[in-house]
Amino acid sequence: MTAVIDQEAPETREAATNSGPGRVLIGIYGVFALAAGARAGVQIATKFDEAPVAYALSAVAAAIYLVATVGLALGNRFGRRLAFVCCVVELLGVLTVGTLSLLDRAAFPDATVWSGYGQGYGFVPLVLPVLGLIWLRLGR
Amino acid sequence: MTPALATGILITSLVLAGWALVAALRERWLNRGHLALAAVIEVAVLAQVVIALVRMAGGEKAAEPATFIGYLLTVALLLPAATVLAYMEQTRWGSVIMAVAGAVVAVLMLRLQQVW
Repeated sequence: MTAVIDQEAPETREAATNSGPGRVLIGIYGVFALAAGARAGVQIATKFDEAPVAYALSAVAAAIYLVATVGLALGNRFGRRLAFVCCVVELLGVLTVGTLSLLDRAAFPDATVWSGYGQGYGFVPLVLPVLGLIWLRLGR
Repeated sequence: MTPALATGILITSLVLAGWALVAALRERWLNRGHLALAAVIEVAVLAQVVIALVRMAGGEKAAEPATFIGYLLTVALLLPAATVLAYMEQTRWGSVIMAVAGAVVAVLMLRLQQVW
């Protein structure tokens, strides 16, 4: 099975996630990883006691965005798989935390990246994994 | 922060974003004009960064210092990073990269003024 796929066009497949529109996505993912990471860093450094769970979650989210960025940039089979897993986790994260944050505001006193379905970040956290998954699927 | 300079950067970066988007829609890569405008904006951004740092060193405090410095670093690095990425992708998508970067610079300038 793999032999057939490999024969088809190994180079276009290889170039699929890290060129063309993929580079735009990589750029946005990179900026987002940086933004979320920097904010989580500030929150943990200055007021971790106020909401340890929320801030730790922000840091985890930032790390996942970073891994997704690297996966997309690699563009090979391993990178694509890595990016796919990250996008799924991000989507589940934003949906779960988004719903929880609406149900129980006290649990998330200060906005995390995923609170309110990423409202504080212009819903980018909700849109980004969907775009990522579509892009990974198209490139196959 | 210097409101006049910050607003100028905000507007100019939106112009860059729109102009780069036009190039993308016409299936073109960036021309020299786009790159020159990006360079001008970057110089203004760096000037703004220096002014903000000097004023902070002089005792003025931002409302949220850590966040402010984080945004300051991001906005300073954004256009150079976007330019490198755009050169790697010399298709219409390189223009999209510059358009996105311009929009993000505008948003960051707005946030910078909010947290100063």
